Amino acid sequence: MESPLRWYEWDTRFIAAHHQPAVLLDLALSRGIDSHALLRGSGLFYEDVASGRARVSPEQLLTLIGNTERLLGAADSSFLFGQRLLPGHYGDASLALANAGNLEQALERLSQFRALLCPLLAPRLLLDEQQLHIYWLDNGSAGRHQRFLIEAHLTAIVALCKRGSGLRLPWRFQFAYPQPRHVEQYWVHLGDALQFDRHLTLLSLPRAYLHQPWLDASATVGQVAQQASQQQIDALEGPCAFLDAFYQYLHDNIREPLNLERVALAFAMSPATLKRKLAKHGTHFQEQLDLVRTHVALYLYQARGLGNEAVARHLGFNDTTNFRRAFKRWTGVVPSGLQPLFDAP
Amino acid sequence: MKSLLKLHTLTLLGLALAANVGLQLLLAVGQLKSWGEIDWMDVVGEGGCAALALAWLIMLLHSRPAGRVTRLLALGLACICFSWWMDLLDEFIQIPANIAWDNWLETAPMPVGLILLTFGIYHLNQEQRAINAQMHKRERLFREHRLFDNLTPLGTAEYLRRQLDSALRQAADEQRPLSLLAVDLDEFSRVNQRYGQEEGDLVLQAVAQLLVLNLRHQDLLCRLAGDRFVVLLPDTAEQQARQLAEELQTAVASLAHKTRQHGERLHLRASTAVVMAFDDDAEQLLKRLNLGLAKAKQSLPRCA
Repeated sequence: MESPLRWYEWDTRFIAAHHQPAVLLDLALSRGIDSHALLRGSGLFYEDVASGRARVSPEQLLTLIGNTERLLGAADSSFLFGQRLLPGHYGDASLALANAGNLEQALERLSQFRALLCPLLAPRLLLDEQQLHIYWLDNGSAGRHQRFLIEAHLTAIVALCKRGSGLRLPWRFQFAYPQPRHVEQYWVHLGDALQFDRHLTLLSLPRAYLHQPWLDASATVGQVAQQASQQQIDALEGPCAFLDAFYQYLHDNIREPLNLERVALAFAMSPATLKRKLAKHGTHFQEQLDLVRTHVALYLYQARGLGNEAVARHLGFNDTTNFRRAFKRWTGVVPSGLQPLFDAP
Repeated sequence: MKSLLKLHTLTLLGLALAANVGLQLLLAVGQLKSWGEIDWMDVVGEGGCAALALAWLIMLLHSRPAGRVTRLLALGLACICFSWWMDLLDEFIQIPANIAWDNWLETAPMPVGLILLTFGIYHLNQEQRAINAQMHKRERLFREHRLFDNLTPLGTAEYLRRQLDSALRQAADEQRPLSLLAVDLDEFSRVNQRYGQEEGDLVLQAVAQLLVLNLRHQDLLCRLAGDRFVVLLPDTAEQQARQLAEELQTAVASLAHKTRQHGERLHLRASTAVVMAFDDDAEQLLKRLNLGLAKAKQSLPRCA
């Protein structure tokens, strides 16, 4: 287990206003949207952003995203935002990312500095024998602007890798929602290997691409920037979002009997406080537990090829019938009805 | 776009002045009615008409540049508004029976306004035809401003879908061929990366204009997404569409776009794909076109 749990919360003001918020602002200005209209309701003024000293919370950043989506009113807003999101101009963290030697290193840095690079959604990496998979955890948006966020973050990863490697990589995409009307944006900005109505929004790539060297990367600059970024992370309230830390804890302890009281103890707070904190992030204990169990079950079934009994035992269910029923409740299908998620094409 | 209202301050001031003069004249000769004498039904009816006319006038001035057509329409509406205003005033002010000019002030502006408005609409019609001619190859028989692209002067993918739907039906009815052509810029992300997103936007606008110039009268150009454009080609079989695709490719390659900052010339290239409609619907056809484009892109040299 890691050292004492530390995290930032949905209303912690730590995102520099001239980082991700400025990206949104520039995007809006380039489409003729007034900066005041964009900042409305966010508690932020243009002078604050320009001063370079203001800090905003993930909550405020999401308000800005909502405003952008509404004011631009175009299907490509999220994709344009995504294209500018990574490596971005966020100081050392961006420098560390832009100077990664290969995709693996870039993803490691993205994950390590996720508080600075993508504070709203946390990337989770998964490696199996043939492929790399990336999925995203919601840090507290509670489903608001979810599709915008997903579109932007997927575009950001694809654009980052295209820039780094100089190649169009053969990404495959699965989406946990039906095909949207503006699917052409997906074709142009992401690629053609798209599947909708899946159990999980997942991005996959053959492992061979992980170690191909990236062009124009300076290892020394990258390393120095990495150390500086780590210091910035250490100066924050925490290296990841509260829900991210919560997910990680449940994930690490999924074989133990988990309940609100025990987890509250591990997070050094009373059960009532934990409950309140979860509510502040738009969720509750059971929802998070079910989410982790779903992800673990999907992984065990599909990547490891385990059977019902083994998966049920792993997740602490005494009998398979009970487990199958619970699984149906989480995903909408029984285990035998699962679509292949991690299979190579 | 900035509000155009400032251009028309004089018109609005003139109307306000006239309304005030009318009010003063009536007050000078007449008596205010007592509350019981006022017919509120008339007040609501006439006042509502005056307010609506004023609202039309403001909306009109808000959206139109100055010019002859705007002046005619604005004057017409101002007369109508004034006429209803005077109509409203005599609900509140009792005019002695021996005075006839108040009736003139009330009635005369209305026909004048209507005549001016009619002239205005006639010229508006002429003007719209001129604009339609300019919109050619970018619009087909149907206008919906919510489907305008926010970057280029073209329709969006949604507009294309609707047009494609009706064009497919028409082509099937008349047993004529219909093709779609996609144009996608190669390595466009490098333009954005190297010269900034604003320059990228300018390139897209330039390419949109360029493609329009190279199309035939009946073709329709839309921006699908990002740097991908689609042309709807009615009455066109695959062979002919391929030739057009080649021409567009050549046009893009010989476009000498200069960056705004340093005037540096950009060398652009485009990949194209062509599909001819058989039995598919709009969605399938677009999907097929997209796959064709992906194939064309695969054969590109993977530049470092």
